Amino acid sequence: MITAEHLVKTFTRNEKKNRKTEINAVDDISLTVREGEIVGILGPNGAGKTTMLRMMSKLMKPTGGQVSIRIGKTEISDEIEVKRHIGYLSNNTKLYGRLSARELLQMLGTIYGMTQEDTERKIDQISNILSMESFIDNRIEKLSTGQTQRASIARCLIHDPQVYIFDEPTLGLDIISSAAIIEFMKGERERGKTVLYSTHYMEEAEYLCDRIVMIHQGKIISEGTPAALKAQTGQGSLRDIFSGLIQEGRRNEY
Amino acid sequence: MNTKIIRTLVKKEMLDVFRDKKTMIMMVLVPVILYPLIFVGAMQFMSFISSSMETQNYRIAVDAKDGDAFIHKLTEQPAGEERSRKETEIITIVDAAAVPDYETALNEESIDVYVSGQLREGKMQYDVYYLSSVTNSAYAANIVMEAFDELKEEMTRQKIQEAGMDLHEILEPIAYEKKDTASNEQSLGSIMGSILPFMLIISLLMGTMYPAIDTTAGERERGTLETILTLPVTNRQLIVSKFITVALIGMISALLNILSMGGIALYMYAIMDMQTDMGTFDMGKFAPAVLVCMLSVFAFSLFISAVTMCVTSFAKSYKEANNYITPLMLVVMFIGYIGFIPNLELTQSMAMMPVANICLLIKNMLAFKVDYAAIAVVLISNVAYAVIAILFLSKIYDSEAILFSEQKGSLQLFEKRSNLQKGGVPTAADVWFVAALTILLILYAGSLLQVKFGLAGVFGTQLILLLVPLALVIYTKRDIRQTYGFARTKVSAFIGGVFMITGFFPINIVLASGLMKLFPASTDNVETAFAGIMGDNICAALLVIALAPAVCEEMLFRGMILHSLKARYRAVSAIAITSVLFGFYHMSLVKFVPTGLLGLVLCYVVWRTGSIYPAMLMHFLNNAYSVMVSYYPEQVGRVLPMLCQETLSFSDGMILCGAGLILLGIGGGIFFRGRRPASADSV
Repeated sequence: MITAEHLVKTFTRNEKKNRKTEINAVDDISLTVREGEIVGILGPNGAGKTTMLRMMSKLMKPTGGQVSIRIGKTEISDEIEVKRHIGYLSNNTKLYGRLSARELLQMLGTIYGMTQEDTERKIDQISNILSMESFIDNRIEKLSTGQTQRASIARCLIHDPQVYIFDEPTLGLDIISSAAIIEFMKGERERGKTVLYSTHYMEEAEYLCDRIVMIHQGKIISEGTPAALKAQTGQGSLRDIFSGLIQEGRRNEY
Repeated sequence: MNTKIIRTLVKKEMLDVFRDKKTMIMMVLVPVILYPLIFVGAMQFMSFISSSMETQNYRIAVDAKDGDAFIHKLTEQPAGEERSRKETEIITIVDAAAVPDYETALNEESIDVYVSGQLREGKMQYDVYYLSSVTNSAYAANIVMEAFDELKEEMTRQKIQEAGMDLHEILEPIAYEKKDTASNEQSLGSIMGSILPFMLIISLLMGTMYPAIDTTAGERERGTLETILTLPVTNRQLIVSKFITVALIGMISALLNILSMGGIALYMYAIMDMQTDMGTFDMGKFAPAVLVCMLSVFAFSLFISAVTMCVTSFAKSYKEANNYITPLMLVVMFIGYIGFIPNLELTQSMAMMPVANICLLIKNMLAFKVDYAAIAVVLISNVAYAVIAILFLSKIYDSEAILFSEQKGSLQLFEKRSNLQKGGVPTAADVWFVAALTILLILYAGSLLQVKFGLAGVFGTQLILLLVPLALVIYTKRDIRQTYGFARTKVSAFIGGVFMITGFFPINIVLASGLMKLFPASTDNVETAFAGIMGDNICAALLVIALAPAVCEEMLFRGMILHSLKARYRAVSAIAITSVLFGFYHMSLVKFVPTGLLGLVLCYVVWRTGSIYPAMLMHFLNNAYSVMVSYYPEQVGRVLPMLCQETLSFSDGMILCGAGLILLGIGGGIFFRGRRPASADSV
């Protein structure tokens, strides 16, 4: 389980006029994702999705609020310890092109404190699940997009994390590759893992998520199961709900 | 710290770097293959050129009545090895009658040398005209001079023999010979001492440059930085492992360079040894030097790795990092030349100076001058600098603004003017640009003005200081009031300011005299230059030395620079940077600390009041006090004798400091009265 309490992230930017403006990229967001649950974050570009997920995976320090995870009955909030139990994947988490997937996974195993035998066993297992046998010893820079994405997933799996945080994992992938990722997330939910992910694809979210959180301008504007959201707004699809909510938000602004 | 994690990370970085073509080219291809190839190629080329030199024809015009003996000497075939003239060199005697004007002929290169001989006071006087700017002419002139030398010697011998005297006794009444007492090792050491440090420093720099870029900017460009940040690894582990990688690769690369150079040297030695007898060397004598060299390579690789990584960490891409590192490379290379300067010894203060200290240490060791204290200072200071740089580096890796690449304030000066928005203060980039431009202008135009026009030139310098930045502010449509801090403030700020600066002045004098004791050599020229500029007219001096800087320097430093930087950085950093710039702008080692401190006080006042006016008044008073002291030493000396003494005694210094502190306190009290610290605009 991963919990965010009153997360705030303030960026100070020099605007055109050269006046310093403070922007709350994430503005008081609280969220809990339980074991065996997939929660989808939806929002337009610049809504604060990436910043929020970066804070939840402890890549960024929040300006306010805190993030913690719970495994069994132990609550962990230390940066390094939390990272140990999170598998984070985004479009910015590229792999070392000059290493092979196997070398990368071996290195990660050591860093996560696994024994050599454990690491080797885990690598065999993962490469079997993701059918990576044919290319696991090739340099990553020589792999195709789909193979690279599989290697990236393998990277998140090596330490068998309790929590997965994926930032737009299916962006720019073909149908087969994105289906593989979706199936993977479903599989991990069955195994009782916690999955938090962001996407632009409404249909995908509707199909996959137990709960959907819509954010706009750093704030949660709506939250609930896909069915509840539809009932609540009287709209037929998530796409309509989403544009409706954002237009409503705009009207309130002026 | 978990060494296992670091070891794993280092292993990964090493693999990553070693599999990179660029590093391998820089590290292996260049030193191991390219250097020897270039060297051997160059040697062959040289010998090819010297052996296949074209036949050179030197045309020499001789205008002398009894020139036959000389012409005969000149055209005679070179005899034996004594003559430096080669067989390919042919002398053609041109008829002097055909050369009406020797200067034109020399310029047109129709002749190479013109010799005119006249009988003067009973003996022949030959003048050899040539053009030193034309290689052939200069060469031919040498040949002519040699011929004259021979002719003269021949005639001398003849005259001695004619007089019936003993040739040997007359020509060589004494015998003398120069004998070098330097051992073979010493001669070799002194040659190596100038070359080796430079080679080592450059090869280490080259070796660390690419891995430093690769592990910092390269990592960001390839997008793997965020991946590594997801791992349960602390910043320090990450940086230390990157640092170890870069330093190790630097050392390997330096080692390869040394081996390659050593190989070339051995090859050279072998070739020379075949031709001439070089004598033998006792290589054992070099053992301490080699040991210290190794330690130096180690210490310097730590230092240079840390510094290059600091520079490259700001870059987002390989290309950008390359741009950042070029100036660093030039500076290091420039300092590296210090080994070539003769007679420069490793002094106490030199031992702390990065790059130069390594150069001089290796040079000293090869000259068999061992100073254990100096060795320790050099090695420790290099390691200490590396540690400081690493700490700085971990600050960079802590900063999300740098890691997740936020946009920086860009140079507005080159934007289309109609696109610029009105108002605000200049961007940091604009400020850096203007500061650099102004300092350059002051350095060149300012010095010229001061040398030519004295006091008026100083005034001109101040005008540059005012107008160049003002032009930028107006051109980029900034808000003048906001940029310069033209704002009203309480009277108490002015009164407090007067007391504060009056207290600060004697403290600064004590400080300056202390610094002069530390760096005695550099004070003389500053003082004389200052005295030369000040005329007799005290009003003019007050205007130029006190009033003009109070307006111009304040508007630039406490006005534009401080306010612009404050909008971008934290107040503490803005004040620190402005003060350092202010100190630096005075371009004197002795003045740096006092002016920097003055800048600090003034910055603080401007920051607290939000107005530049109290600082202007304070700056005026500070400079006016100095003018007073130098114009009326007697009058001032009667009241405050310690201000006008050549050297300050310790007790007088303490009295001045104490009085200054009291005045500072009073000033501060007035300054802060009714002004709670919290009321200052918080940043």
